[in-house]
Order: sequence, then C-alpha cells, then structure tokens
Amino acid sequence: MEKKKAGFAVAARLCVFAATLAGVFLTDGTDRTWIIAAMLFCVLAAQKAWKQCAGFAVFYGILSLLLYLIRFHGLRMAAFSEFHVFLFWWLTPVFMAAWNLVSAPPGMLSAFFARVHAPTGAILGLLVIFRFFPTMRAELHGLRESMHNRGLTGPAQVLRRPGNTFEYILVPMLLRCLQISDQLAVSAAARGIDTPGPRHSYYEQKLRVRDILAAALYAGAILVFLLIGGVK
Amino acid sequence: MNTNTKWSAKDVITTVLLSVLLIVIQLLINMVCMASHFVSMVLSVGITCFVCAPVYFLMVRRVHKRFVSLLYMTLLGVVFLIMGDWFLLPYFIVVGLVCEAILWRKGSYDAPWRITAAWTVYSGLYQGVNLLPILAFWETFASNALASGMTQEYIDSYLSYYTQPGWLAVILIITVACGFAGSLVGSRMMAKHFSKAGVL
Repeated sequence: MEKKKAGFAVAARLCVFAATLAGVFLTDGTDRTWIIAAMLFCVLAAQKAWKQCAGFAVFYGILSLLLYLIRFHGLRMAAFSEFHVFLFWWLTPVFMAAWNLVSAPPGMLSAFFARVHAPTGAILGLLVIFRFFPTMRAELHGLRESMHNRGLTGPAQVLRRPGNTFEYILVPMLLRCLQISDQLAVSAAARGIDTPGPRHSYYEQKLRVRDILAAALYAGAILVFLLIGGVK
Repeated sequence: MNTNTKWSAKDVITTVLLSVLLIVIQLLINMVCMASHFVSMVLSVGITCFVCAPVYFLMVRRVHKRFVSLLYMTLLGVVFLIMGDWFLLPYFIVVGLVCEAILWRKGSYDAPWRITAAWTVYSGLYQGVNLLPILAFWETFASNALASGMTQEYIDSYLSYYTQPGWLAVILIITVACGFAGSLVGSRMMAKHFSKAGVL
C-alpha cells in the first residue's frame, strides 16, 4: 500500500485526538498514560508513519528514563525539574495525536471541514491552528540562522542587550506572521473561500473501513482504559 | 475606522495566527518560570504580560475590527479548558468582553492609550488564573495540579503567596506594571517598525 493511502482519514485522526484528550486529562491514574502512548505508536505504525514513530519513540524513551532516574535513583537536574519531565512525559500522547492530526495535508483538512458544513471562518481558523507549529518551526529556524549570521546570538550580546535581543527576535517574527497571514488570505481567496454554496476538493477522502475500524478500536480502548483506571 | 465591516479571511487568519502565538509564548514562559517558586508565583504573569503586549498591540491595530480581543481570550480560555481548568473559559470570555468595552469607542484601534488601557486591565485580570482556583475552585484545581505532576510543596507555596494580602498586592502591582510597560514598548514598536513598514 502507498504511504499516502496508508494515512487515516481526517475524521479518524480527529476521533483519535479527541479520545486521547479524554484519556490523558480525565484519567485518575496519570502514571498509566504510557498505555495511551503505546496505543498511539500502533496508530502511527498502522499509517506507516515511521519517521514520526521513531522521533516520538526517542523523545518518550529519554523522558521515561529521566523520570525513572529521578523517582528511583534521586537524580536532580539544575534547570529541568521533575515536574517538567513528568509534564512532557504525561503530555506526549497529546503531542503524538496532535501531530498525527496536523500532519494531514491542508487540502484534506479543509475538505473534511467543508463536508461537515463548518463555517468558513472556523475552517480558516482551524487550518491556521493546525499548520501553526510546522510553519513556525521553519520560520524560527530561519530567524535563528539570520541572527547567527549577524552575530546576534552570542551569550554576551544577549546578556548585554536583552532589550535589543527581544526586539531582534520579535519584530522579524511578527512581520513574518503578517506576511504568512497575507499569503494565506490570498491563497484562500484564490481557492474561492468566499464563494457561496458547497465546496469540493480534489483531496476529499472518503471514510474507508480501516478508518472506521481504527477510530472505533482506539476510542473503545480509551473507554476501557478510563473505566478500569478510574476517572477524576 | 470602520469597526462594523464584516470580518474578511485575512482578519480571521491574522487574529488566529497571532492569538496562537500569544498563547504559545504564555505557556512557554509559564513553563520556564516553574523552575523557581518565587519567579513562578510572583513574576511569571508579569513577564508574560510584558512580552506579549507588542503582539497584542499588533493584532489589534492590524485587524482593526471589534471582537479581536474577545476571540483571542476565548481561544485562551479553550486552551485552559482542554488542560482541565474549565472555569477559566467563562472567566476569559468575560475578560474579553471587558477589553472590548474599553476598545468599543470609535477610533480606539488607532489610539495607543486605549489599547494600553485594555492590555493593562487584561494583565491585572490575568491573575484570575491564579486567584480563581483559591476563591472558588480549589478542589478542582488541587486535584488537577497533583495529577499533572505538581508537588505538594509547589501547591503549598502557591497557597502561601496567594493568600497573604501583602504578597497578593505585590504580585498584582508587578503584573499590572509589567503589562503597562509592555504596552509602552508595544506602542513604541508599532511606531518604530510596523507603521514604517506599512503593515498597520
């Protein structure tokens, strides 16, 4: 099966995300959220998202090791407390489910929301939220390189002139945000966002049996997890 | 300005983009500040309000339409709702309406002092995030805090800072002062960079 076809439909990804939120935030036993993480690794593997799987496995593995060392071997870190380690460890399933959702192609996302008759403003807002992290990651990388080339990232420079550093980071980042919003608005207009009537998309993906099965299995497993583990 | 015109796609995109940026900055600063109890309890909201003020200024002046503040604060409330503090959603909607009331008069979006007033009031009211749990929702907050990995020591420290009138006054003064100072910086940045670039 092609990798593109292996990805679940947006409805299934949304269902996985909603169920993950419920599982992570409603459970009485936060120490057991590793079960949700394990289920999400299965969801990613079923979509052949090997790169995401490997990245999250490394991230989760390091956090689990740190948490183990802190709790059972008295490890103390200067900058990163047990709270932070636990927070990231606990929220990793949410990050995984969210990344699985936002990594869906924007065309597929907008086609899904248009099909469920979401208002145009809400579709635009959700698309911006979903694409925020991948876009900003690239922008911040570019900004860091640009500052580095001008010698503005050195610790001495940052400590001597924190106000200037604040301005050097904030102003280009905000200007870039405005440029992105302009480009997105033009792109949306070109795609007929203001056109009344039903909209269709080349990327429209119908729910397949495997999507329904995956979403139902995952939601059912979360329900069992909450019933057995207890709810807050 | 015409505050009654319909929201365009560009307005929605700009508002949501900058709102998400504001929320991410706020959460990041809160997380970093948790390394020290004093910084977390006394300074973190002030630092947040100072850093975010220019972003809020840009959002309000760029979109130039009513309900920008309300939309941003509703999104912030939704984030708190997702994290388990459901009572902060209605609270932030009310705070958003207060800011809208400050900015309601015609021409407010071009008046830096009006925007400064809105952000300064918001900065003071943002402390509701810390005060509301003690005043009305302690059970919900304490169980949510313990479940999310906060230590009992952190919660005790939180209680001691926010229940002593002296500390409470200091925290509120610092927060409002930082919000006001951030607004001045934001106003200066608008004139120095964004107006000149022609993006307002």
